[in-house]
Amino acid sequence: MPSQPVEASATAGISAVPEPIHNALVEELWRECSASAYGLERERFREILERVAAAQNFGLAPGAAATRRQQRDFFRGLRLADLVLARACANGHPGAWEHFLATYRQPLTRAAIAITGSETLGRELADQLYAELYGLTTRDGVRRSPLDSYRGRGSLMGWLRTTLAQRHVDHHRRTRRELPLDDPADGYEPPAAIPEPETPSADLLLLGRAIEEALRQLAAEERFLLAAYYLDGRTLLEIAPLLHVHEATVSRKLRRVTSGLRKRIARNLQGLGLSKPAAQEALDADPRDLNLNLKKILQISSLDAFQEKATL
Amino acid sequence: MNTTSQLDLHPDAESLNAFAEQALAAPEREQVLVHLARCSRCRQVIFLAHQAAADAETSAQVAAARPTTQPGMWFLNWRFAWVPAAALAAALALVVTFHPRHTAPAPEMAKLTPLSESTAPVPQEQAATGAAHNPAPALVKKSIARDVELGAHRGPAENLALEAAPSAASTAESGEIAGSSESSHAVTTLSVESASQPVAAAHYQPEPAAAAVQQDQQQFSGTLSAGSAAPPVSLKSMQAEAYTAHARRQAASAGPRRPQQSAPAASFDMNTQQQLPELTDSLKARKANPPKLPSGLAVVSTAIAQNLVLVIDQTGALFLSGDSGQHWEQVARQWTGRAIEVRAKTGLSSNAAPAGGFELKNEAGSIWASVDGKTWTAQ
Repeated sequence: MPSQPVEASATAGISAVPEPIHNALVEELWRECSASAYGLERERFREILERVAAAQNFGLAPGAAATRRQQRDFFRGLRLADLVLARACANGHPGAWEHFLATYRQPLTRAAIAITGSETLGRELADQLYAELYGLTTRDGVRRSPLDSYRGRGSLMGWLRTTLAQRHVDHHRRTRRELPLDDPADGYEPPAAIPEPETPSADLLLLGRAIEEALRQLAAEERFLLAAYYLDGRTLLEIAPLLHVHEATVSRKLRRVTSGLRKRIARNLQGLGLSKPAAQEALDADPRDLNLNLKKILQISSLDAFQEKATL
Repeated sequence: MNTTSQLDLHPDAESLNAFAEQALAAPEREQVLVHLARCSRCRQVIFLAHQAAADAETSAQVAAARPTTQPGMWFLNWRFAWVPAAALAAALALVVTFHPRHTAPAPEMAKLTPLSESTAPVPQEQAATGAAHNPAPALVKKSIARDVELGAHRGPAENLALEAAPSAASTAESGEIAGSSESSHAVTTLSVESASQPVAAAHYQPEPAAAAVQQDQQQFSGTLSAGSAAPPVSLKSMQAEAYTAHARRQAASAGPRRPQQSAPAASFDMNTQQQLPELTDSLKARKANPPKLPSGLAVVSTAIAQNLVLVIDQTGALFLSGDSGQHWEQVARQWTGRAIEVRAKTGLSSNAAPAGGFELKNEAGSIWASVDGKTWTAQ
């Protein structure tokens, strides 16, 4: 399943001219990272830094010129040691691979087992990723390693875990789509006949429109909260670390979102011509009478810049 | 806009991981969050990755919380084992301390066993009885085998002694298993007492172990002197010397030889040895037929000297027999307390020729002496 870096979409259409990196800074970072131990010369190291910096413009707004201090702060915020190791491994440096295996082999296998929930599947997933990381996959006769896509934001271990999770989810979705049809002789029961939908009342139609409009007006984090909590069934404890807040804060946010959503729906109903008592009465309607696909509404609501710019 | 096609584009692992680790700038974070709000696939990816990270962190915390072995920690780890270990050590110390006391009767065993067989000739029936009384036949057989092997290196006197009384030598060597010094005492005692009349009395006397050892030491030194100074003239004397040589070999093998005392040289006289067959017959008869006392009680202590037999029963009554136990006469009580032991006076006092007489000891340890077994005087 294709994926692309966020900064590529964010800077798409913008002429990203890489700001030249000061030689002293390159020399300083090159020595700190012990890049020479993995066979990375200064010029090669500089190329890597320039590519990373150009993709994000040193973390500044597009078009802004970075000073030497901003450049230093930007590179200090990166995991340069992990970046050097990843690039050295992608280049096939034996010492780098030896260090990589000693450091990440066991944690990666454990992560794969935790992700798949099965030791067999986990080991298989980890071995498969290792084969990819080692560059067994070739494209146009050139070995390609996913490690080339690592740019030092976040830890290398976290990147490996996320890559494993991506592989697992994609594999799961792909195989689920490929499930064979059930054999009718094998106890297959055809679904019950779908009853003819009753023609919804005018109030319910208005309510549906008001809800869709209210969901589209939600902020990204609010929609993420609603989707993770109500659609995915994640717990407050699972959601909180991703937002870097306490789970109680997540609970308060959820309560605030739902109450605000109710008010917004009522306001939308009034905007659609219903009186305030009529809008309150419409809000008390049985949700089962509504013909709404909230998952679909959340997916299509408020198309984000990432997707829009990615399709340009 | 085809949303389905757009859903096929997702943030890469770098961006998702950077989002989870709060490493994204605000604009990029907002973009990823918007995508996550509508993309269940990326939400699933990010939750799975974070769950794996949480598991790894939990494992690391458990590993860190696991107590590590530090120098000296073994003492704390074993603190609950000190009590049983100390108790075990104390029990071991007690065993080591009191073990020699329990094994002290070994010389008595060594004395008892050869008496039934050392006096040749031995009837077959009696030999069978002696075999039945052998306390450790396996050890005896093993010791005999050892003696046969060692026979090539022994002198003619030693081999003769072993042939005449194999059980004596083997029993002595079986005593060597328990304690080499004690075995030498046993053999030494045998070499003396088998040639003297009071030895038979010692056969039935429950002597204290310490006294027996002390006596054995005295007889040992005396026998050594006798062997060198007075050549034996009879078969019994040769046997005695053979036993002495055997004891010397045992003592030499056991360790440094104890200093010899300047004891009287003449341990064996011909008169004593001439009385031996008669005494031996009496002993054999007694061994075959335990004395039946008028009181009907069991015998506690017995002493034989000069054709007189004195026994004490369980109540402390003293009986005298002048015909080897055919008839018994109760001796009037002339001592205080309860008599517990009677013994021939000669065999206990010195290595010299038997002077005759008996000694009687009561519970308090007081001693009374008698020459004829009837009249007793306090000592």
